[in-house]
Amino acid sequence: MIKAGTAQWLLHDVKNRGITAWLLAVVLTSFYLVLYFTEWLTPAARAVGLDGKWTLYGLLYSIAIVWGGIYVIRKYRHNRYQIVRTSVVIFVQVTFAFSIPQLLKFLHQPEYYFSYLWPLKMEYLTPGYIFSLPLPFILYSFLGSLLMVPVLAALFGKRWYCSWVCGCGGLANTFGEPWRHLSDKSSLSWKIEKVAVHTVLATSLLLTALLFVTWGVGKSNPEVARFTYGFQSFYGLMVSSMLAGVVGVGLYPLGGTRIWCRFFCPMAALLGLVQKFGRYRIRVKENMCISCGLCSKYCEMGIDVRSYAQASQSFTRASCVGCGLCAEVCPRGVLRLENVRVRAPQEASLIQISPMPSVRQAG
Amino acid sequence: MHYVIVGNGVAGITAAFALRKRDARAKITVISGESEYFFSRTALMYAFLDRMNLRDLEPFERKVYQKQRIDLLHGWVEDLNADRRELRLKDGAEIQYDRLLLATGSAPNRPDWPGLGEVKEGVVHFVSLQHLAECERLTPSTRRAVVVGGGLIGVELVECLVHHGVEVDFLVREDWYWPMALAPEEGKLIAQHLRHHGVRLHLQDEVTGVESGTGSRVSAVQTGQGKKLPCEMLGICIGVRPAVDWLRGVATPPALGRGIQVDRGFRTSLRDVWAAGDCAEFQRPDGTPFVEQIWYSAKRQGELAARAMLGDSIRYEPPLFFNSAKFFEIEYTTVGATTRLPDTARSFFHRWADREATIRIVEENGAVTGFSMLGSRWDHTVLERWVGERRSLDDVVARLHEAQFDVEFGRVPLAGLRAAFGAREVRA
Repeated sequence: MIKAGTAQWLLHDVKNRGITAWLLAVVLTSFYLVLYFTEWLTPAARAVGLDGKWTLYGLLYSIAIVWGGIYVIRKYRHNRYQIVRTSVVIFVQVTFAFSIPQLLKFLHQPEYYFSYLWPLKMEYLTPGYIFSLPLPFILYSFLGSLLMVPVLAALFGKRWYCSWVCGCGGLANTFGEPWRHLSDKSSLSWKIEKVAVHTVLATSLLLTALLFVTWGVGKSNPEVARFTYGFQSFYGLMVSSMLAGVVGVGLYPLGGTRIWCRFFCPMAALLGLVQKFGRYRIRVKENMCISCGLCSKYCEMGIDVRSYAQASQSFTRASCVGCGLCAEVCPRGVLRLENVRVRAPQEASLIQISPMPSVRQAG
Repeated sequence: MHYVIVGNGVAGITAAFALRKRDARAKITVISGESEYFFSRTALMYAFLDRMNLRDLEPFERKVYQKQRIDLLHGWVEDLNADRRELRLKDGAEIQYDRLLLATGSAPNRPDWPGLGEVKEGVVHFVSLQHLAECERLTPSTRRAVVVGGGLIGVELVECLVHHGVEVDFLVREDWYWPMALAPEEGKLIAQHLRHHGVRLHLQDEVTGVESGTGSRVSAVQTGQGKKLPCEMLGICIGVRPAVDWLRGVATPPALGRGIQVDRGFRTSLRDVWAAGDCAEFQRPDGTPFVEQIWYSAKRQGELAARAMLGDSIRYEPPLFFNSAKFFEIEYTTVGATTRLPDTARSFFHRWADREATIRIVEENGAVTGFSMLGSRWDHTVLERWVGERRSLDDVVARLHEAQFDVEFGRVPLAGLRAAFGAREVRA
C-alpha cells in the first residue's frame, strides 16, 4: 500500500514503472543516444573546461556513483558488507575509472582504465591497440584479464568484479538502487538470459580470435582484415553502445538495473562460468525460510532466490553478482554469502537440480 | 485416486507437492476460499509496507501448478460428508474425494469486550488477505490506532501502521513484551526499540471497553488502567485459534477439541480424512492437547501428512522448537526453551553495549537446552546440534563463533561476551 502524500506517490511511481519512470527512461535513453551518436555534448564539456564529451560523461558517471553510493551506505548503515562494498565501489570509480585515466592523459600516457578488463573492454586484448602501449600496460592487460580475473572469481565469486569493481555494476548498485527490484524473476527470463549472455560471450571470443588472426596475417590478407574490422565496429555499435549504454542504463526505471550485466555482458558470462566451479555460494539456513520473497524481489539479477531458500538448498547461480541484498532484506537471516573450500555437487552443477516444486530446468 | 486438500496455505500446498512427488498419476485438488493461489502469509506485512506487490507474495510461479497437475479451486467449503466422501462448496458444487486433507489454518481470536459488538467499522485483524485489504482500506482515514496483543502479529501490524504515519497505542497485557517467548531483559529491549520508533507502548494494560462514533466506527478504547485512547482503527492481535468453526455444522464433523483432533499419523476421527497444520490438534503422552501454529510446523506437518496419506507409517514428533521473527529492525532467533523454565535451569545473558543485540543461553543440569538471540544472526541448526549433544555452557560459549551467521565483515564481536562470561557470578 502506497504511503499517503504527493511525494510518496511520486516515489512509488518512479520506482514502480509509473508514468514518471517511463519519462525518466526516455530521458536516460535519449541521453545515451546523444552521447554515442552525436557531438552535441562536446561544446557542453568544453564550456565546463573539460577536453571532450567522454570526460564529461566520466564526471557525470562518477557523480552518480558517489551520490547514489552515499544514499546506499546510509540506507544499509547497519550492514557492514554493504558499507565496505559500496565504499570500494565509490573509491574504484573515483580513482581507477576517472582520476587516474585523466592524470595519465595529463602526463601524456595512454588513457588507461585499470578497473576495466577484457572481455568487457575489448580493446585491452585487441593486439593492434594494446601492443601500441608501454609494456606495463600490456602486462596488466594480459595478466589482469587472463589470470587475475578468473583466479579471484574462483576464490570469491564474480562479485569481486561485478559488484565491487566494475563501473556498470557500480552504477547499478548506487544510482540504480531505487529500481533494483524491477528485474524479471520469471523462469522464462532466465532461459532468455542464458541464451543471450552466452551468445554475446561467444561473439566476443570470436571477435578476439579474429583480431589476433588479423594482427598476424591481416597485412597479407586484406579480405580478412576488412571482415574483422567490420565485425569489430558492428560489435562496438551493438554491444558497447546499444546494449551496455542505451539499453543497459536507459531502461533502469523499467527493467531494473542489471539488464546489461544479466543479459549481455560477456565478462559477467565468463565470470559466471568460473563462479559455478569456484568457492562462492549463497548458503541457505535449513528450514528457516518463510517464503516471503523479499530476496527474490530485491535480486537485481532476477534470480528467484526464494525457490532455493524455501527448499533449504544452498546454491551458486552463474549470474549472481554477490551484491548481498538478498541476505540484507531477509527478515529471518536465512541467507549468507560465503566462500567455502568444498561445495555440494548440486551447487556446482551446470545442470541446476531444481528445488522441488519448480519449473526450473538448467542453469 | 483423487486427493483433495482443503486450504492452500503452506501446510496444504506442501502436502499437495509432496503427494505429486510420490504419486505421478493421482488427481490432486486444492480448495481455498481465501485466495486463488498459495501466498506467503508471513509476508502480508511487506505488502502493507509497499515493499511487495500481492503477486510477489506467491512463492511459486503460477504455471507450476499446471505443470505439477495440481488443480486449484477457488471457493469456500461448506459441507463435509465423510460417509459419501463428498464436499460441498458454497456455490453448490460437489466434490468427490478418495482421501481428504483438512489444512484450514488459523483464525484470529475475537474477544467479547464491552462495546465491541456495536462497532461496525474500524476493527481489524492481520492474518488473511481479506484482513490486509481491510487494513489498507482503513489506513488513509486513520490518524490514531490502538493495537492490542503482545505477540508477533501485533508488532507487525504496529510496524505497518507506523510506516504509514499512524500514531499507534500498543496495548500489552503482560508485564513485558511477549513473555511467552522473551525473558524480561529481551522484552525490555524490544519495548525500548518500539518506543524509539514512536510507538506508545502500554504494558500491563488491557481493553475494558470499546467506544464507537459516527457510522459506528471505533472512536476510542478504554483500558484497565483507566486510560481512554482515541482511535479510528482497532487492531486485535490476541492470538489465533484453529479455523475449525465451519466443521461444527457439517454432515459428519470430525472429532474437535480446540482444533481437529488427530493421532500422530495425522488421521482424524473420520475415515480417509487427515488434518495438518495450524488446525490439527495432537495429544501429548500425558493426554494434554497441543497445536502448533507457526510457519515451520505447518510446512513440516504438510509434508508428513502427505506421506501418511500415501500410506507411510508416520508418527509425528515435533523436533526441538525453533523460531525466528523480526521486530522492526531487530532480528530474533530462538532454539529450545528459554522461558517458563524449571527451577534447576540457569541462563547466561549478555547484552552488547554498542548495539541492540542480546544473547541468552539456558543450561540445565550441565547441558545447554535453549538459546534466545536478538539483533544478530545465528545458525539455528548448529544451536540445535549443541542442545542435542548436551554440550556444557562453557563449551558452547567457547565455540559460539561457529554458530554466527552475520554478514561478512559484520559479525558481532564475542570478546566482550566471553569476558563477561568468565567474570560472571556462578550461581548455584
